[in-house]
Amino acid sequence: MDFSYKEKSLIASLGVTLLIFGWYLYGAFSNLSSNPELPGFVEIIILIVWVAVLEIIIQGILASKNKSQLEDERDKLIEKISYRYGYWFLSAGIWFLMVQILLDAWLDHLPVLTTPNAMFHLLLLFFVLAEFTNFVAQLYHHRKGV
Amino acid sequence: MSKQISNNIRKLRFEAGEMSQQTLAEKVGVTRQTIIAIEKDKYSPSLEVAFKISNEFSVALETVFNYK
Repeated sequence: MDFSYKEKSLIASLGVTLLIFGWYLYGAFSNLSSNPELPGFVEIIILIVWVAVLEIIIQGILASKNKSQLEDERDKLIEKISYRYGYWFLSAGIWFLMVQILLDAWLDHLPVLTTPNAMFHLLLLFFVLAEFTNFVAQLYHHRKGV
Repeated sequence: MSKQISNNIRKLRFEAGEMSQQTLAEKVGVTRQTIIAIEKDKYSPSLEVAFKISNEFSVALETVFNYK
């Protein structure tokens, strides 16, 4: 299959996001009930730096191999359309968390899901899933058209 | 039935000495994938890009694009 520069770039971003955040969230949700405390600030910064460094290296390699036009109006249009899907997904996630907080208050403490640690990681999970939705939507529109 | 935009870019490229999609893309300032998408009627370009394409072939805009 012949992939364009933009598609390769999206696949790389998707891979890095899923790899780093997937690994982190898997560990976090595995210990959710045993650890109600929020993760350390340094831990989160390290995570973000890892994603940024990997992205810079991979995107740099991809860009250096492609000497022609990297991005144009069609790519920007696809980005705009796809960000909307990501936005709806993130909105749904935030509504879900708000309902969780309300239910917790009304039903006098739900198990696990409304601890600060769980709320933080659920929010992070919805951010990652929104990004995933955005990347997949972009890949779809690059193949199927807009 | 709704009208659709179609184009004659493939024919115009052939008449311009079998100009490649990559060459046209570079002259117009878009990616090759965008030229492919326009040729397959999967993407309607902006007016600016449409004019650039017609200028490249030295023909009127209506010769490149049809709205039927």
